Amino acid sequence: MADELAQGSGVASRQPSAERPAGTRRVGSRNALLSCAVLVLFCVPLTYPVLTTYSYTLQIMTTAFMWIALASSWNIIGGYAGYISLGHNVFLAAGAYFAGGVFAYQGVSPFIMAPVAGLLCVLLGTLVGAITLRTSGPAFIISTIALMLIARILFDNWDYLGGSNGLSVPLLDLETGLIKVPFYYGMLLCAIGAVYLSYRVRHSKFGLGLRAIAEDEVKAEVAGIDTRAYKIAAFALSGFFIGVAGALWGYSLFYLRPEAFLTLAVAADMVLMAIVGGRATVAGPVIGAILIVAFNEISVSQFGNSEINLAITGVLLMGALLFFPAGVVGALRERRRLPRILDWD
Amino acid sequence: MTNAIQIAVLGVLLGGVYALMASGLTMIYGVMQIINLAHGAFMIVAAYVAFFLYRDSGIDPFLSILITAPAFFVAGLIVYTLLFSRLVDSPRFGEMTVLLSFGLALALEGSLGAGFSGIYHRSDVSYSTSTWDIGSIFIPKGQAYGFVACLGLFGLLWAFLNLTRPGYAIRATMQNRGAAQVVGVNVTRISTIAFGIGAALAGAAGSLMSFLFTFHPAAHWQWIALLLSLIVVGGLGSLAGVFVAGIGLAVVAAFATDWLSPTWSYLTFYLALFIVLLVRPQGLFGKAATI
Repeated sequence: MADELAQGSGVASRQPSAERPAGTRRVGSRNALLSCAVLVLFCVPLTYPVLTTYSYTLQIMTTAFMWIALASSWNIIGGYAGYISLGHNVFLAAGAYFAGGVFAYQGVSPFIMAPVAGLLCVLLGTLVGAITLRTSGPAFIISTIALMLIARILFDNWDYLGGSNGLSVPLLDLETGLIKVPFYYGMLLCAIGAVYLSYRVRHSKFGLGLRAIAEDEVKAEVAGIDTRAYKIAAFALSGFFIGVAGALWGYSLFYLRPEAFLTLAVAADMVLMAIVGGRATVAGPVIGAILIVAFNEISVSQFGNSEINLAITGVLLMGALLFFPAGVVGALRERRRLPRILDWD
Repeated sequence: MTNAIQIAVLGVLLGGVYALMASGLTMIYGVMQIINLAHGAFMIVAAYVAFFLYRDSGIDPFLSILITAPAFFVAGLIVYTLLFSRLVDSPRFGEMTVLLSFGLALALEGSLGAGFSGIYHRSDVSYSTSTWDIGSIFIPKGQAYGFVACLGLFGLLWAFLNLTRPGYAIRATMQNRGAAQVVGVNVTRISTIAFGIGAALAGAAGSLMSFLFTFHPAAHWQWIALLLSLIVVGGLGSLAGVFVAGIGLAVVAAFATDWLSPTWSYLTFYLALFIVLLVRPQGLFGKAATI
């Protein structure tokens, strides 16, 4: 099974030895190109128009980075391990409320607390995963929805954290032109971290085990994989960068309300992005997140109505499932048209 | 004591309605292993239909069942044929259909929201606010009528499943899909019909919902979460289970509301769901292999 999976993945370094030098060189040039792209992203806020005015571009890019982090993290459990979670926004809310609460009451900046919020989400993921991962298939999905709704009730009624009225977080003490910049860098780092984590998991023995679980859990168990521990680890690990992103996003909203985080639409977007881009691939969630964020912006500016946007999201999800179940990356790979720059598996 | 009896009576009346709402969901799962997350959205759409029929044409919500149920039966056939049947050969059928119905639910919610805004609706029929007083206990007429209608529909469903040939075929498919196919059941056709019946039950439940509860486009998430709790607690695919779980949990929730606060009403269902998943994942009446 391991061979089968490795072959299916098309990893350049695992191709026959005769082709290896060429493959390695291509991977090298791909990594160089990607590094350049990241470098350009780091320089964007330094450009003149961004520094002088409140930047819409910066805001959109920050949003895109956040969704890249969320969808890539979701992909670890939902893509690699094949356990679809519709409750991953609980991590987002937990991260936001933890960092926001610490900031509001103790004055420690969410930028410092973000990694701690991530670790808290790993802990939360371990506890919750130990319960919900006793089930599988549809029952697992149901349990994650229930988890989300329990969290919603909890936060709606937790008066210390503002309840359903919300908790206001002190404003960042910067000029309006600059106020988006720290969030931009924070989210960019978060997105890079999440994609890197996803990449490392994909290329590890752990990731191989997860994909074996997705293929056939019983066979994976027979092959000696501790499926339960693997699944719980994947669930917990997927919480880390969602927690970090939640801490930053909550701060950037300046106001935490349960309904900003804990609606099924938020959970749906995460799943939609991973599926549209290509589940169980490294590049898929990134592409999916960029496409969906761009689409949402266009659709909201065209219709100015989030209800129509919601309806289109639903139709897109159905269309993707029926016609492109493998997503952009998967569909391109099947046709052998996937550009090497996007082949991160 | 009278207070406890009062709460129990209200819980039972509500539970009967819950059971009817969840019956279509559990039957669709039983026959096809599809968790139809759009079931709640179907109910809300039906509730809108019933609401407008009552407001504009004066058709009583109970009579509108005769319109919503057949209409949703047909809609169910179409939805199954156009959407779900395409995934039958998919290796990950279970989760693909969950996501597909999730998309359908979002699409329906968004369309309703765009068409009718998020305003809360409820049909104000005369019996929805009047009661019978028996000693110190009161029985709301609307809820009582609704409960009776649910028992009636449950009876019809039972009769259909136990006394007609398509009913036999559906039960056979629920028990063992492969074996049913071997003895000559056209599983594809039975699946389509079962989905239609499930949708028709959602339509009937929507008619009742239009005067029993306030509803708005986004309300279906609350409902589907509650109904999923019921069908998991009752055992996925078990109609008897969903009846017992519906009434049992509604009574527990009614007491939780009285002793603690209304917040706990919904928590009761979700906590029951988690406890069942932990202790007895197959549910009260479920077969161990169904999950």
